[in-house]
Amino acid sequence: MGPIPVRSVVRAGLVGGAVLAYLALVGLVERFAHLRLVGEPVTLGRILLVLPLFAAAFGVARPRVVAGERRVAGPRAGLVAGALTGATAAGGFAVAVILADRIDVARIRQVFIAVTPGLVEFVTFERGLVLGAAILVGLGLVAGALGGLARTGDRLVVGPAIAAVTTVIVMGLLQRIVPVAMIQLGFEPDFLYSPRTRSLTWGGATGLLVLAAGADALWRRSGPETRRRVRAAMVEQPAARAGILLIALAVLAVLPLLVGSVISQVLGSVMVFVLLGLGLNIVVGYAGLLDLGYIAFYAFGAYMMALLTGATLNTTTGSAAPAWSVDLNFYLAIWIVVILASGVGLMIGAPVLRLRGDYLAIVTLGLGEIVRVLAESRWLQPLVGGPQGMRGVTNAAIGSFGFRQPQRFYWLALAFVILALFVSWRLSSSRIGRAWNAMREDEQVADAMGISTTKYKLLAFAMGGAVGSLGGALFAVQIGSLTPASFQIIVSITALAVVILGGMGSIPGVVAGAAVLIGLPGLLREFEEFRLLIYGAVLVAIMILRPQGLIPSVRRMRELHEEEAEQDAWVKRFAGEAAAVAAGPGGALGVEDEDLT
Amino acid sequence: MSTDGGPHLLELRNVSKHFGGLYALSGLSMHVDRGEIVSVIGPNGAGKSTMFNVVTGLYEPDEGEILFQGQGIVGLPPNVITRLGIARTFQTVHLFPNMTVLENAMVGQHTRSRSGVFGAILRPPGTRREEERIRERAKECLEFFGSRLAGYRQEQPAFVLSYANRRRLEIARALSTDPTLVCLDEPTAGMNPRETLEMRDQIVRMRDELGLTVLVIEHDMRVVKGVSDRVVALDYGRKIAEGSYEEVANSPEVIEAYLGTKAVG
Repeated sequence: MGPIPVRSVVRAGLVGGAVLAYLALVGLVERFAHLRLVGEPVTLGRILLVLPLFAAAFGVARPRVVAGERRVAGPRAGLVAGALTGATAAGGFAVAVILADRIDVARIRQVFIAVTPGLVEFVTFERGLVLGAAILVGLGLVAGALGGLARTGDRLVVGPAIAAVTTVIVMGLLQRIVPVAMIQLGFEPDFLYSPRTRSLTWGGATGLLVLAAGADALWRRSGPETRRRVRAAMVEQPAARAGILLIALAVLAVLPLLVGSVISQVLGSVMVFVLLGLGLNIVVGYAGLLDLGYIAFYAFGAYMMALLTGATLNTTTGSAAPAWSVDLNFYLAIWIVVILASGVGLMIGAPVLRLRGDYLAIVTLGLGEIVRVLAESRWLQPLVGGPQGMRGVTNAAIGSFGFRQPQRFYWLALAFVILALFVSWRLSSSRIGRAWNAMREDEQVADAMGISTTKYKLLAFAMGGAVGSLGGALFAVQIGSLTPASFQIIVSITALAVVILGGMGSIPGVVAGAAVLIGLPGLLREFEEFRLLIYGAVLVAIMILRPQGLIPSVRRMRELHEEEAEQDAWVKRFAGEAAAVAAGPGGALGVEDEDLT
Repeated sequence: MSTDGGPHLLELRNVSKHFGGLYALSGLSMHVDRGEIVSVIGPNGAGKSTMFNVVTGLYEPDEGEILFQGQGIVGLPPNVITRLGIARTFQTVHLFPNMTVLENAMVGQHTRSRSGVFGAILRPPGTRREEERIRERAKECLEFFGSRLAGYRQEQPAFVLSYANRRRLEIARALSTDPTLVCLDEPTAGMNPRETLEMRDQIVRMRDELGLTVLVIEHDMRVVKGVSDRVVALDYGRKIAEGSYEEVANSPEVIEAYLGTKAVG
């Protein structure tokens, strides 16, 4: 097999088999055994059965560095090694299945409650143990061969193929969302999604395959050129830029009408977390202050909004007026919340000014918990209702047009997200952003260059708090009632994960991070029981494969060749000047002769 | 130069700084006058960099006074001292590595500009003009080094620069704070002979063309000789000699400090 050692093949195979066995044991495979993606036979369960085999082979065919030399396997080696890996993985899994059957499923079930006799039948294709195992190994051979080829084959073929298959699987998974959107748009979805099985029709799937493969191939050929041209147009023509922005805005605005209220609810939550992420991004991404207690601003924004708009306390006997509240209009209250939250930012920032890194993280973690404990406390019960919380938060109505309903809430949140995006962007590209950046890179040197680190740390906490409180205030409007249970530490962690996953300091990254971490789990409700498992796996995978985040903040985005061309022109220009200097008396080369000792 | 006995630009009076039992500076008194280039020499551990650190506010001295333009600056934070007009570079280069070369220099202008949060968000004409001015001034400072930090290099992140260019950028960043006094901590360390000579000329130009006062720690005696109006030699945190290059170079204390006790013969 040339560049791929047998040891690696065996190891990858065993790992693949173990992963597959794990997926089966936790119930993932069986749970989706009947979630049809295409027609009747292609179910998500079957894809989950094949995926680890494919992935193991894909991994084993990777380029390796042997004795300082990078060895890339050819398609043939990839195919053979992949097939062997896949067969090993499937074989290992088959042995596990046979063992499980011998031990008796009922006994395994005491530990892994998701295992059922149905699982064994499903993974042996209902053909009995021996034949089922044979089919499994055969499947492993094929899936492994494909996986190996996918890594080693011609990119121009493999790329479109992977894009096509991925598209079909994703579209199959979106079977509850896409048809609804199509009906809203006035299309008949039956040619794509079968009304009987709800899955993609064979014709529709084939069409999608061709479409996706074609689009990917086209993009591979002319994508970079198109992207360069679009970017150039964006830079040169303000009109083009405004046009693209307007189109994007229009798409975002009509989105909730297309996807229905369940998905709009998810989108609304994404928006709330975009606000949280943008605020935290100012503190963590721009200023480099690791804040694990960001929940403080979220809770403050939510409760303050409730108090300012006349919400009432929940009590055992009904509702009661809080010890203090006013009944303001939402559009006035929100600005008061923002201003007060920046004050809270200063209060939280002041005691932790001298702390850095881990120490700062621990202290802010504590401050965040204090806020939750206060919200639950007896002491503040007359004000915020203690464990029972509050209800009757404003729905931000303009006239009789309230914003509680999911689609309308999305619009309200979108408006504030756009505002926060604008503020974040302007701050990052300003004197203040530069000062934060310098402080993040080297606090002591920034101080020595004239930047008051005290002032800019406090400013970061204040600005971050202001933006984050917007998230809290909107959350209060979305839910209409508040309990301390909504302000667990997990919200702080999620907000931080949004920022880190997206790419620290990157504004598009925050949006992408919120979409992945909040949007995906919301869209894929079928996965509800496995949400945390998938969530964790995705986080680990992204942090290994892309530690800089999904959309890292590239300080100067530039096409490489563009830079090279510029460099060449520059070198030519100065080569001329340098020649002139060298020719002159005491020129660049004459200096060496000077006696200095 | 204030030969008339008027206040010195920078004056250290009996400054001591110790770390545990180690006296990095013990009763150091020295001064720098306006328009001078003063070199500070001394063997490793003589207290040269500690002197820079107490002057620029990174350390607070345990005893003594430091006056800048007649004003006591002990206890002021570094950023305030920079605003008063003392800029510095570091012995081991400390740039902002992920910011571009130009941005590094623009950071220097921070203390000479003032737009705040509302300026940043609303970007009124005043802020735009200020930003433009910051950019221009930063470019000017980079161009002090001719073509070395010009052109495409200004848009590169600082970490890609060569070692010598990092030193130059650090100096450009210091110049961009519009200082009165520049403190250079071993500006030629790690440079090859030709780059060293170039730097020597540039230090002289700082005084002659930019009208700056320069306090420089330097090990390369060709540079010390080439630039210094006055040389101060330190050892064990004390001043052991002061005067012209020749006077200091021939001072028995200095020779002893560098070479140990003079061999008999």
